[in-house]
Amino acid sequence: MTETGNPRSRAETMKHGFQLVRAKAMARKEVRHILRDPFTLGLALGLPVLLVAFFGIAIDFDVRDIVTVVHDSDRSRPSRQFAEVFAASDYFRVQAPTPGGGILRQLDAETAGAVLIITPGFSRDLRAGKEVRAQFVLDGADNARAVAILGYLPGLLASARRRLVTAAASFPFPIEAEPVHLKTRFLYNHELNSRWFTIPGLSVIVLGLLSILFTALTVAREWENGSMELLLSTPVRPLEIIAGKIAPYLALSCCGMLILYLVARLGFGVPFRGSHILFACVALMFLLASLSQGLLISVLTRQQQLAMQLSMMTGLLPSLLLSGFIFPVESMPVFFQYFTALLPPRWFMAACRGIFLKGAGPLELAQPLFALALLDAVLITAAAKRFKRDLEP
Amino acid sequence: MAAIGISAASISKRLGRVQALDGVSLEFAAGTINGLIGPDGAGKTTLMRVLAGLLRPDSGTVSCSADGVATPFSEVRPALAYMPQAASLYPDLSVQEHLDFFRDLYSLPEAVYRPRASELLAITRLEPFRDRRASQLSGGMYKKLGLMCSLLRSPSALLLDEPTNGVDPISRREFWDLLYRLAGQRILVVIATAYMDEAERCSRVHLLDRGRVLSSGEPRQLLAAEGTAGFDEVFIRRARQEAA
Repeated sequence: MTETGNPRSRAETMKHGFQLVRAKAMARKEVRHILRDPFTLGLALGLPVLLVAFFGIAIDFDVRDIVTVVHDSDRSRPSRQFAEVFAASDYFRVQAPTPGGGILRQLDAETAGAVLIITPGFSRDLRAGKEVRAQFVLDGADNARAVAILGYLPGLLASARRRLVTAAASFPFPIEAEPVHLKTRFLYNHELNSRWFTIPGLSVIVLGLLSILFTALTVAREWENGSMELLLSTPVRPLEIIAGKIAPYLALSCCGMLILYLVARLGFGVPFRGSHILFACVALMFLLASLSQGLLISVLTRQQQLAMQLSMMTGLLPSLLLSGFIFPVESMPVFFQYFTALLPPRWFMAACRGIFLKGAGPLELAQPLFALALLDAVLITAAAKRFKRDLEP
Repeated sequence: MAAIGISAASISKRLGRVQALDGVSLEFAAGTINGLIGPDGAGKTTLMRVLAGLLRPDSGTVSCSADGVATPFSEVRPALAYMPQAASLYPDLSVQEHLDFFRDLYSLPEAVYRPRASELLAITRLEPFRDRRASQLSGGMYKKLGLMCSLLRSPSALLLDEPTNGVDPISRREFWDLLYRLAGQRILVVIATAYMDEAERCSRVHLLDRGRVLSSGEPRQLLAAEGTAGFDEVFIRRARQEAA
């Protein structure tokens, strides 16, 4: 009779030898679960499109049709031309002031978003070659809106300047053009079309969260179902279970990614300037990281309810707020900039923007690629290490 | 195939605040049907899990032998089949899919699997229900499917935790017929049960209560020693004595 009380040595002897047959059996079983559960399938393929389309249309960082009241006290041709520049842009809708009340009354009443005040002497100063002044008053209560409107001003002023200079040529005396001329041009997204930026971003967040949820429930379900006890008494090893559980969901989330790609390209007209192969690689690495994160959660919690809550906590808010989707990582405090490095969506977000809009290649994306590979390895190893081979609490 | 014997020496195991096992020493000889008998909370499931290597004893050792020769647990483990008490099958998988799944987990070659599966389906009379999902099986059929899954690889030792719990009397009888056939093939069977009438069907019974072994031996000898006609009386008398 031999002593066999030491489970560690037992675990050691069980560890070697990854058998593809067993991993495949796990995967096949998992595929059956997925196919027989229309809810999961619908969740995987329908929900992302619904969410991205819904929020993609809803979230528009562009502000359009800002009602702008023009108080033109100069009432000259150049002042009218100046106001017309605003009227001609998509962003502003110019209105004449309603009679009575102060200049800012409509701003107070929130019937207008901005007020343009052109003081008397506008054309006189223009003709004299002096600095021309006009005042633009904004509602600063809505910070995001005010910042967006401010963003349009340089472009508008540039075209206003051009128009006024050409107009001045017909004047009997010429105006001095400005000595220094600053021209701003936005590369990669000339019009700063915010959908080009929100749609890929939303896709990253929605698919990342879904992937975490998929696997977070699978291992926990086996524990709650009681099937884990039976599984553990068979020769199947943790890494085989993990591989068998990740593979089908990886295929499923890749389908989700493909659908979202088509929605972005065909539905929202987001340009794609990079390599599709590179994008597929990064997407695969990102989805693998999210699935592994879910699996780690599942292995640790062993309860579906808890796994779900942990997934939402670790999968939604950080990726929404810290991935650089809404708030740029560069403007976070240094600690948080490093912290975001732990989040797979932060790297995929950067890679997505790079590939979609800039056509970035593997060299430019070396950092996100490396980071995602590292996260994949760490998360899968952690899940395998923490996977219990017994029923000890 | 080697005849496997298992021996537990003063096993203690605490689960939370409960002393589930308190110095349990038992011998399970090769080729016998061993009944672990006791009321709920006696420690049957904990002992089963310790024997299956799913729980570590706080103290004490489990040792194994193959054909009378001491053998490490890791070598015995592949020849050990365990059927948990709790529902542990996949509700959405059919009978056939369960068999296929466990065939792959045990890496059984097709030549071994095919005759084995049809033999088991015939014995359990589940053949007509191959395509039925586990969730749609009756209590008895569900237990039989569980047993089939653990018997697929012709184990040398079979650990069954309350396999007949909630099963109708006819199915229970069939279940036992199946066990007798297995024991005839020199398989060690350890079966935990709360049904006292099943104790008499075992070759050896081990009475457990609150994590301790009360007595152990052949059913008739034990009953004679206790001076009772049935095992339920043994436990009822104990309960009365404690109440008094």
